[in-house]
Amino acid sequence: MAFVEQLISNLLYGAILGSVYGLATMGLSLIFGVLRIVNVGHGAFIMVGAFIAYWMFILYGIPPLISLFLAIAVGMAIGLAIYMLVVKRLVDAPELASLLAMFAIGIFIEEFAKQIWGADYVGYSWEIGGVSMLFTEVPFTKLLAFASSIVIAAVVYVWFRKTKIGKAVRAVVEDREGATTCGIDVNRIYALSFSLGIGLTVLSGVLVTLFTPVGINVYMGGEYTLKAFVIAVLGGLASPWGAFYAGFIFGLIENGSYTLLGLIPGVEPFGLTRFLSSVVLMLVLLVKPTGLLGGE
Amino acid sequence: MLNVTDLQSGYGEMQVLWGIDLEVKEKSITVILGPNGAGKSTTLKTIFGTLKPWNGRIEYIGQDITFLPPHKKVELGMTLVPEGRHLFPNMTVKDNLYMGAYLKRAEERFEDSLELVYSLFPRLKERESQKAGTLSGGEQQMLAIARALMTSPNLILMDEPSQGLAPKLVKEVFETILKLKDEGLTILLVEQNVFASLEISDYAYILHEGKIAFGGTVDEVKESEEVKRAYLGV
Ligand SMILES: Nc1ncnc2c1ncn2[C@@H]1O[C@H](COP(=O)(O)OP(=O)(O)OP(=O)(O)O)[C@@H](O)[C@H]1O
Ligand SMILES: [Mg+2]
Repeated sequence: MAFVEQLISNLLYGAILGSVYGLATMGLSLIFGVLRIVNVGHGAFIMVGAFIAYWMFILYGIPPLISLFLAIAVGMAIGLAIYMLVVKRLVDAPELASLLAMFAIGIFIEEFAKQIWGADYVGYSWEIGGVSMLFTEVPFTKLLAFASSIVIAAVVYVWFRKTKIGKAVRAVVEDREGATTCGIDVNRIYALSFSLGIGLTVLSGVLVTLFTPVGINVYMGGEYTLKAFVIAVLGGLASPWGAFYAGFIFGLIENGSYTLLGLIPGVEPFGLTRFLSSVVLMLVLLVKPTGLLGGE
Repeated sequence: MLNVTDLQSGYGEMQVLWGIDLEVKEKSITVILGPNGAGKSTTLKTIFGTLKPWNGRIEYIGQDITFLPPHKKVELGMTLVPEGRHLFPNMTVKDNLYMGAYLKRAEERFEDSLELVYSLFPRLKERESQKAGTLSGGEQQMLAIARALMTSPNLILMDEPSQGLAPKLVKEVFETILKLKDEGLTILLVEQNVFASLEISDYAYILHEGKIAFGGTVDEVKESEEVKRAYLGV
């Protein structure tokens, strides 16, 4: 019985964490979907969000939920600056050029962050109690992260589907030349999408800190870059919604397998996070390279 | 209305247009004819701005628009119905039309434009909430023209609107183009369909290897045995 209980509570935790994973991948998919640029420096932007949450909490006692607003604003500003200074020139360049540029920008941000925050692991703890559900105690902070992820993803979804500018983004994705003939300034749509993509990524970094109480570090991004790629591929790479759903699935797979791996004597399941991610990535690529959920 | 002088452009290193001169008069239909690969689409793309001109000058309603980006040209009332339609296949017919009215100037006239478009193409109204990608070829061509009309244009550049359509639909498309002229629009047309397009046009240019080989009124083209034999294959 203990096994089943543990599995259920791990899956519950997986679903909660998965929502944050999903949100943390939407920006990557949005940027790829619109600009066809792979942001290999993705994790660095999550790290920036994590430090925003950390600083706001430590310096001013501002809770992470409030920092979300600051994070998206800062993230969008950074995204816009990167677009204007670098990406704009590389949209039509060979893919390798933008790939290397994003790689370099990721490293630049990490090294820059190191000058501000140093290389040590830091953390903060926001204690607001918890609730007992499904054989386990779930902290309210994690439930809030779960709810925020869903609300934010839903807002982005509605923005895409219902607003004129959101539809214009979709139009550019579907047919760039056709969008041009409608008078849509494709360059502006690229700038907006890139900026929003980075904004969402930085924002997700705030929520990530609710799951890693002492895991904030300037090099924390690598793990999230890997996971985001696994999730993006699961979700069909170019679709932010596919990414969001796939985040849940990945959270369930990851945390479900901790329970199973824990059954093997001598194995420390939580040390296998990266191993698990890479196995899932390879399996998905072998089974269905276009993404399990298809995507639009 | 549109004056093009010594227009040159191409792709990468390869020059395709070697100095095009042409004029489009207001409220007329002007057709550009010529063999495959002559540079007809390239001419329209360069005028619209999807392709940057290498040299020359494009003047539209008295303004120099040579290096204006396409969305600024749409603002000024010019649009392109590109070869191959370039619709938004996963968006509904209505949303495709809504995107046509993207600019403020066009959005203000959205209801009027929609009424005009639905009176020209009643079929599109029936298919309003269907995805554009699921329309038949003829319906897609109508939607492409309709979406261009939603930008509230004065000058429409049309690249082979009859391409790939059954003879009956070809006739319908040409009739529509005539109706647009009656609505006061100016049209610069590129066509493979020599007879049908000369039938509705006022002026014609023959493009050959990136240069204008002949230009004049449709009657002049029809009378010139030489032009007919050399370029039109009739
Ligand atoms: N995107 C492109 N990249 C490189 N070369 C191109 C491109 N598009 C066209 N060309 C070349 O430019 C020349 C002119 O092409 P264009 O499409 O303007 O011809 P066209 O007169 O429209 O022909 P068609 O009747 O087949 O549509 C051709 O030699 C073609 O191969
Ligand atoms: Mg052509």
